[in-house]
Amino acid sequence: MGNFLALVQNENMKIYRRWRTWIMLALIVLLPILFGIIIAVNDGAFGSNMGAWSAASNLSFIYFLVSIFSVVIAADIVASEFTWGTIKLLLIRPWTRSKVLLSKLLAVLLFAIAISVLFTAVTAAISLILFPASPPVNASGPSTFDYFIKMLFYKFIDVLVITVFSFMISAVFRASGLAIGLSMFLLFASGILSAILSPAKYAWAKYLLFNNMDLSQYAMRESAGIAANADGMSLGFSVTVLVVYVAAFLIIAWMVFTRRDVAA
Amino acid sequence: MYMSQEPVVRLSNVTKKIGSKTIIDRLTLDIPAGQVYGFLGPNGSGKTTTIRMMVGLMSITEGDIVICGSSVKTDFEKAIAHIGAIVENPEMYKFLTGYQNMVHYARMSGVGKERIDEAVALVGLEKRIHDKVKTYSLGMRQRLGVAQAILQRPKLLILDEPTNGLDPQGIRELRDYLRVLAREEGTTVFVSSHLLSEMELMCDTVAIIQSGKLIDVRSLKAEDLEDQYAETGFEVSEPQRALELAPAGRLEEGRLIVTVNREQIADLNSRLVAAGIKVYGIQVLTRSLEDQFLEMTGGGQIG
Repeated sequence: MGNFLALVQNENMKIYRRWRTWIMLALIVLLPILFGIIIAVNDGAFGSNMGAWSAASNLSFIYFLVSIFSVVIAADIVASEFTWGTIKLLLIRPWTRSKVLLSKLLAVLLFAIAISVLFTAVTAAISLILFPASPPVNASGPSTFDYFIKMLFYKFIDVLVITVFSFMISAVFRASGLAIGLSMFLLFASGILSAILSPAKYAWAKYLLFNNMDLSQYAMRESAGIAANADGMSLGFSVTVLVVYVAAFLIIAWMVFTRRDVAA
Repeated sequence: MYMSQEPVVRLSNVTKKIGSKTIIDRLTLDIPAGQVYGFLGPNGSGKTTTIRMMVGLMSITEGDIVICGSSVKTDFEKAIAHIGAIVENPEMYKFLTGYQNMVHYARMSGVGKERIDEAVALVGLEKRIHDKVKTYSLGMRQRLGVAQAILQRPKLLILDEPTNGLDPQGIRELRDYLRVLAREEGTTVFVSSHLLSEMELMCDTVAIIQSGKLIDVRSLKAEDLEDQYAETGFEVSEPQRALELAPAGRLEEGRLIVTVNREQIADLNSRLVAAGIKVYGIQVLTRSLEDQFLEMTGGGQIG
């Protein structure tokens, strides 16, 4: 019997030996560079003097792609084994299904971390290169490095939650299309859903997943001078709700994956 | 080490129910070590379901399956470590090379590179092993399937309908590997099929299943066949006198019909000749195993 890390190594091999993974990584490198240049060109035209970290914060909208790519990898990692029929050979090794599933989860999380770090590094680098003007010494808000990193970190939490959601759908329904579709819906529609089912209107709405996914809302409230714990929600509350949801997703994925017959 | 008389696999009262339907009904079967053991039944009789329960892909509703002393139900990791298998078609990661596929499974079993090379050599895939699996023919994928199944030197090799979709040459080659494995590596082979003719060529014993029930187990070894009694027809010059010499027999279309084994055929023949009766021909009349199988399984209807 080998060691558990060998299983994670296998999952990584199956992720990074595919062309599409490298296309995703290439896009994550190329898009910040491309949009950085576009912003720089326009910036010069308008004669303003944007700081590097303001530019980086502007570019961080591309981080949306990181969510999408993480969701795609998570949606595929269990479902594709069923589609390919390789699940039959994967599960007849001296490893319990729980360990196989855990190795897949770890590989997905490693991918989400790797692609996030890559994006952050590329965005920071291109911003520093294209916008060398030093920011004011007493800068605050969106023009600081702290702000840029904090915003990305909040978005990263968002990515982790949506990725685990996608992973669960993949393990439960064994269909990557459904996992991608539902995750994308959650990702795109969460703004609209939050507006309709707002915690300001319904007290119970504060327990809904999409109302807690955007952790940056508390920093926004603070800077806008609104009480941070309006409608009974706070950063701590939202983090707790997210932890409970993620735990529930993982338990459901685990229960279904370890119990159901493989008849495909 | 388990003792040689202990079966490699012991299925006791194995039952599988899906909803209210009983797919496998109290199946009890011992598979002795070192044999090529056939599992024969028409399509839909429960062969694949049984195999999926043996390798843990499906849960066992009732009963238990014990592999080399470890229960699949309660001690899965230990039990499955003794098994190498191909369940239905050998599905591989097509975007990886054959070798990368082997590395994948080798890592899971803690097997080294030398063993990968050995297994690949045994199935004769050395030349193409570094090509992507998507460029492989079905026969080559089958070879890779066998290579991954024997990678960790399993005590038990399970092959589910291994000849499906193979051309005659591929079937011949597969049979040859199985013989090599059983003889040289001491592997017990459990192979399912719905084709009796195929079973007769490679198996020592055949268990016949229909509608989820075990209906017969019979040996196909030559020495065991010698002990089998079969209806035999003697074409003789004086049937009435011949019947007096073999009172247990009967006459049919001028022939003497008796139920005897191999030795008794020779005995009766010499007695007939000694009595001055001419023997023109001797013919074993028992229906072939194929006919019996078809009769037992109702001509292959889905149960």
